[in-house]
Amino acid sequence: MSDAAIPTIAEAAKLIAAKRLSPVELTRACLDRIHALDDRLHAFVHLTEERALGDARAAEAAIMARGPKGALHGIPIGLKDIVDTKGIPTTCQSKILQDNIPDSDATCAEKLAEAGTVLIGKTTTHEFADGGPSFDLPKPPARNPWNTDHFTAGSSSGTGAAVAAGLILGGIGTDTGGSIRGPAALCGIAGIKPTYGLVSRVGVAPAAFSLDHIGPMAWTAEDCALMLQALAGHDPRDPASATRPVPDYTALLGAGVKGLKIGIIHHFHETDSKVSDGTQRGIDAAIATFRDLGAEIREVQLSPLQDWGACGSLISITERAAAYEEWAKTRLRDFSERVQSRLMLGALVSGVDYVQAVRRRRELRAELKAAMTGLDVVLTAAAPNEAPKIDAVPIWDLFERPSFTMPFNVSGYPAISVCAGFGEGGLPVAIQLVARPFEEPTLFRVADAFEKATSFRNTRPALAG
Amino acid sequence: MPAEISDEALDFLLARSGLALTPAQKAELKSVYPGIAAMAERVRKPRGPMAELAHVYNFTGDDVA
Repeated sequence: MSDAAIPTIAEAAKLIAAKRLSPVELTRACLDRIHALDDRLHAFVHLTEERALGDARAAEAAIMARGPKGALHGIPIGLKDIVDTKGIPTTCQSKILQDNIPDSDATCAEKLAEAGTVLIGKTTTHEFADGGPSFDLPKPPARNPWNTDHFTAGSSSGTGAAVAAGLILGGIGTDTGGSIRGPAALCGIAGIKPTYGLVSRVGVAPAAFSLDHIGPMAWTAEDCALMLQALAGHDPRDPASATRPVPDYTALLGAGVKGLKIGIIHHFHETDSKVSDGTQRGIDAAIATFRDLGAEIREVQLSPLQDWGACGSLISITERAAAYEEWAKTRLRDFSERVQSRLMLGALVSGVDYVQAVRRRRELRAELKAAMTGLDVVLTAAAPNEAPKIDAVPIWDLFERPSFTMPFNVSGYPAISVCAGFGEGGLPVAIQLVARPFEEPTLFRVADAFEKATSFRNTRPALAG
Repeated sequence: MPAEISDEALDFLLARSGLALTPAQKAELKSVYPGIAAMAERVRKPRGPMAELAHVYNFTGDDVA
């Protein structure tokens, strides 16, 4: 399978339905690419080759007999290695769970399997979805397929790298402060953090309970919509699970953006935390594209990005420290140095600090709700710049600059990162689009219109030399 | 929340947390304390005692069934 032949999920689904593409051949092509490239990318911590070929053969037989049951039938995917998989190692990239083999699937894994996907393997993650690229773990960190000297962002690093390189057509990421949207941005793919509670967290290792989201990562927004269709829905085992009916996430694709109102949070990326010139050019060009497509552009003012970051970080630090307290007390040295550093921060945050952060969270969420009155989506940066070199990622980045993605974990609003071009170093830059709760169809409509109006989906990483 | 932390105060917080840190980790933690103090300051506003948390709950049908 050449780079040019890597289909999107939507393209593959059409070919499979027309019996012009075999799920077994597609799966073999993905496995061939993994065998050729993954020693440089480290996108997978565990391949499920036998399971994949079994899934693919079963899908092919069912499709030949009865036709596909949906767009994901026969599609090769990966699951981040903090997602429980029955009978398959789930290590959270940690020494502590090296021998962990769950006896049941996470809800998201179960739903994707029910949709007929082909499980290729478990993708690389930062340890317990935290900390950054670590070199003192059982497996090395994932590398950016646009330039393997560079970082993927994280913590859904393997899924980001694998999708961008065409090793899988889609995959699961998790997002507590940007762990879907960050890797999507730096790897040049699409990744959505859905509304809080839309996708069940059951069977996924927690990072911070009230900020954790599960969501799809794929080459296009349309593919994310197809995946979310299978993932969304109430799960009574998740206390945060939403009970709303699941809409058709592809219903508004192709409707364009004419007449939609898009708010730009200029101060987030222009003054609160100024992005690189390349990222700013990508954002400016995206705004011009939306204007050309007939959208109305407005300006949005919110509290400084630093306020959102402080609120989210205090909540994240404390909830993580609580979740992993037992191991932190008894097995601290078994964590990577980076995660040890994050866990010890919990000692510095008082109970009152946490509650003040949660009170601030209510105020910030009300502020965003008011600011989005009359708007369909808002736009800001997804990442501050192109991917840095993998050995130049600071341990204490949370103190160095506030995250562009954390505001929408704090608010729980759905947010998607899509590729907005390439910076000076030839690496991707991205925009982040945000909609009101449960308005994912609008988010996909806008993101899809942007992708189709630009040429950035036509280029895959060269992975040459 | 003061912007700096003494060694004694840090030792107290660590003892309370149950974390056994190396001297290097203690020094590192002390060095980032101002960052946490700044965050804690940022989330405090003159909001009075009546301002609610984001995390509250209400009973659902399942709770009273």
